[in-house]
Amino acid sequence: MTRTRIPEIGVIVAAFAIVASLPWLAGSYMVSFAFSLMMWLALTQSWVLFSGLTGYISLGHAVFFGAGAYVMVLCWGTISFWLAIPLAGIIAGGLALLLGYPCLRVRGPYFVILTFGLAELIKFVVVNIESELGQFSRVVFGGPGVDQLFHVMVGLAAIATLMTYVVRRSRAGVGLRAIRENEEAAETIGVSVARYKAFAFAASAIIPGMVGAVMVLRTTYFEPLQAFSPITSFTIVSIAIIGGGDDAPGPVYGALFLVVLQELLWANWPQLYMIILGLLLVFFVLWSPDGVHGWVRKWQLGGRK
Amino acid sequence: MILLEVRSVTKRFGGVVAVDNVSFSVGVGEILGLMGANGAGKTTMFSLIAGNQRPDDGSILLDGVPIHGMRPDIISRRGISRAFQIVRPFAGMSVLENVMVGELFGARQEKSTTIAEARARDIIGEVGLSDRADDFADSLTLAGRKRLEIARALATNPKFLMLDEVMAGLTPTEVAEAVAMIRKLQSERDLTVVIIEHVMGVLMDLCPRIVVLHHGGVLAEGTPAEISQDARVIEAYLGTGRDSAA
Amino acid sequence: MDALLSGQLLLAALVTGFVYALVALGLNLIYGTMRLLNIAHGELVMLGAYVTFWLFTLTGVSPLIAFVVAMVLGAAMGWAAYRGIFRSAILSTSVVERLEANSLLLFFGISIILQNVISLIFKADLRGYQYLDNVVEFGGIAITGNRLLVFGISCVVCVGIILFLRYSIFGLAIRALIQNRDATAIVGIDVDRVQAISFGLGFGLAALAGALISTMQPISPFMGFPFTIAAFVVIILGGLGNMTGSLVGGLILGFLETYGVALTAPTYQSILIYGVFIGVLLWRPQGILGGKRVAR
Repeated sequence: MTRTRIPEIGVIVAAFAIVASLPWLAGSYMVSFAFSLMMWLALTQSWVLFSGLTGYISLGHAVFFGAGAYVMVLCWGTISFWLAIPLAGIIAGGLALLLGYPCLRVRGPYFVILTFGLAELIKFVVVNIESELGQFSRVVFGGPGVDQLFHVMVGLAAIATLMTYVVRRSRAGVGLRAIRENEEAAETIGVSVARYKAFAFAASAIIPGMVGAVMVLRTTYFEPLQAFSPITSFTIVSIAIIGGGDDAPGPVYGALFLVVLQELLWANWPQLYMIILGLLLVFFVLWSPDGVHGWVRKWQLGGRK
Repeated sequence: MILLEVRSVTKRFGGVVAVDNVSFSVGVGEILGLMGANGAGKTTMFSLIAGNQRPDDGSILLDGVPIHGMRPDIISRRGISRAFQIVRPFAGMSVLENVMVGELFGARQEKSTTIAEARARDIIGEVGLSDRADDFADSLTLAGRKRLEIARALATNPKFLMLDEVMAGLTPTEVAEAVAMIRKLQSERDLTVVIIEHVMGVLMDLCPRIVVLHHGGVLAEGTPAEISQDARVIEAYLGTGRDSAA
Repeated sequence: MDALLSGQLLLAALVTGFVYALVALGLNLIYGTMRLLNIAHGELVMLGAYVTFWLFTLTGVSPLIAFVVAMVLGAAMGWAAYRGIFRSAILSTSVVERLEANSLLLFFGISIILQNVISLIFKADLRGYQYLDNVVEFGGIAITGNRLLVFGISCVVCVGIILFLRYSIFGLAIRALIQNRDATAIVGIDVDRVQAISFGLGFGLAALAGALISTMQPISPFMGFPFTIAAFVVIILGGLGNMTGSLVGGLILGFLETYGVALTAPTYQSILIYGVFIGVLLWRPQGILGGKRVAR
C-alpha cells in the first residue's frame, strides 16, 4: 500500500528543497511567485487535513486566516513578531474549537453553509469593531524582510504538507476517513467521532492562522473585508477539489495550477480568472471529485477498483 | 452465567411503540435467535443495545453493568459489536482498511497500524475474503459485503456480537457457507451471539434458543421445537414456523 | 423613538418582508422539489435586476414591462436549466450521490461564474436608474412611488402564488412532489412536467424580485448573495415546502432586519442577517428538512 506513494512524496520533498533555496537562485519575481504558491499550499494542506479526510467541507476557512492576521495586527508594537506568529496559530486553533462546538453537529451541505455564514458573520463583526475603534485599515510597518518571511512561509507549507501526509497514514487518519465514509458506522465501531472531528478542525486552523499573520507582515496592510474575504475560502476549496482532497500530493498539484493561472490572468482579466475557476470547480465536482491526484492514483494502481 | 440482560425496555418513536416492555437475557457463549415480523422491533432492539438509540424506559446491562444511554463508541469498546442489516461498508476504503478500523477503534484500541493491519488480514482470511483484501469495499458483491460487515465487527474483539439479517439476499449455497462460518467463528472465539433472521431454517439450525417479538413485545421464548409448536407464534405467523421461507 | 414607531418604518419593513418572501417562495419551489441546495438563487435575483436595468436604460421601456420580461426570461431559464441539466442529473444515481454531498460547491461555483460574467459585461460598480422617484404621501407617511409599487406587486404576487398552490391542481401536484417524490410518481402525476414547472416558477419569482429591487436600490453583480442567505433563513423559519410559512417568515425577517438596523446602525445589517442565519440553522436544523419527515 505504501510502495506506490514514495515516488510522489520524494518528488515533493525535492521540490521543497529547491523552493527553499530560491532567494539565492532566482530573482524577486520568482520569489514572489513561490511565496504565493507556498501560501496557498499551506492553507489548502491544512484544509485537507480536516475537510478532505472527514468530508466535512468547510467553506469558511478564510476566518482562520483573517483571525491570524488580526491577531498580528493587534499585537503589533507590543509583542515580537516571532512570538505573534505562533500566537496567531494558537488563537486560530482556539477559535476553531469554539466554532466547532455548534458547527460539527450539523452535517453535509448544512455544515458547508454554516461555516460560510459564520465566517461572514465574524468578518462583519471585525469590520464593525474596527470602525468603532476608528480604524478602516491598518498598516503594519517594521516587520521582517521578504526573504525571511518567505522562509517562514516555506516552513509553514512544509509542516502543513507533512502533517497531512503523516496523519493520513496514521491511526487517526483511518478514524477520520471512516467518519467520512460512514459516520454512524464509525461511531458504532468505536471511533469517538465528536472528539476526532473537533481536534481535526482545530488542527486545520492553526497553520492558516499563522499564514494570515505572516501575510499581514508581507503586505504591511490589514483590511478586514479583504483579510476575511470569502474568495480565500473559495480558492482553497477549489484548489483542493481540482488537485485532489484525499492526500498530501493533491494540494500540491492544485496550488501549482492555481498560482500559474493567477499569474496569467489575475492582473488583467480578474473576472475571467474567477469564471475559469468556477467552471473548473463545477467540472471537477461533477465528473472528477478526486481531482488530479485521483487521476494519478488511478493510473498508478492500474485502474483497479 | 448471564452476559447481557435486557430489563423492561421500552422505546417509542413519536406515537409508535417500537419496543414494548421487553425483557430477556443472553448467557455467556450462547447463540440466541431473535425472531419477528417486520416492524416487530428486532432491529430497534439491536440499536438500543449498541447505543445508537436510548431506551425510554428500562435498562440494559452488560456483565451486570448498565450500558443503556452510553455512546455507541464506548459501548463498542466494552465488547459489543454489531453487523448492520443494511450493510454499511466504508465504501471508499479498501476491505483491509475497513477491518482495520475495527482493530484500531474497537475494544482492543490498537495503536499501531502495522499490528492492526496484520490482525485484520487474519480476520479477512477467516471470513474468506483474503483475495479481495486490497480492493475497494464497494466493489464487493452483496455476499462479500456481508462477510466484510462481520469481519469488521469481529475486528473490534467483541464478547457480544449482534448479527442483523446477514443472510438476507444470499443464495442457498451462500447461506450454508455463512452458517458454517458463524458456527466456526463463535466456537473459536468464544463469542456470545444474537442473530436476527427471517430465513427460518437458519434460525432453527443455529440457535438452541429463540426469542419471538411481536408488535414490539415478547411473544414467546424457547427452543426451536417449542417455538414452532407455540400456538401464539403460529397464530402470529400463520404457518411460518413450519417451512423455511424462500 | 418616534422614528421607531413611525408608519414609514413599518412600510419599509413590509416592503423588505414581501420581497424576501418572494425570493423565498422561489427557492422553496426549487429546493422543495429538487432537494438540492441552490445557493446560486440570489444570482437569479441579480440577473432579474440587470435585465430590468438594461432594458430600461437601453430602450427606455417602462420597468413595468421589464418586470414581466425579466420574470418570463427567468422562467424560461428555469425550464431550460431543468430540462437541460438537472433532469439528467437526477436520473443518473451515481451523479446524485456525489451531487448530494457536493451540490453546494457546485452551485457556489455557478454563482461565482454568474457574478463574474455579469461583472465582465457590466463592470463591477454599482449601477442604478431613476424610476418613480417621486415621493408620495398618505396618512402622514412619506414613501417613494417605486417602493409603493414594489410593495403592491410583491404582495399581490406572493398571495397569488400561495392561492395558486393551495387551490389549483398544479399547486396540489407541486406540493405532493415536495412531500414525497416517489409517491407522487406512483399516483400518476407527471413528475417531470411538474418539476419543470416548479423550476420555471421558482426562477421566475426570483427574477421578478430582482427586477423589483432594481427600482429601489443600486445594483451590482455581487448583490445576490445576501438574498440567498435571506431566502434560506425564511425557509428554515417557515418550513420547507410550506408556502405560507415562506410568506410569514419573509415578513418576520423583513421586520427583524428593518427594525434591527433602525435600533442599531446600517452597518449592522450584515451582522443581523448572518446572525439570524446562524441562529436559525443551529436552533432548527430540521427546519431545512421541512415540518414532517419527508421521504425521498
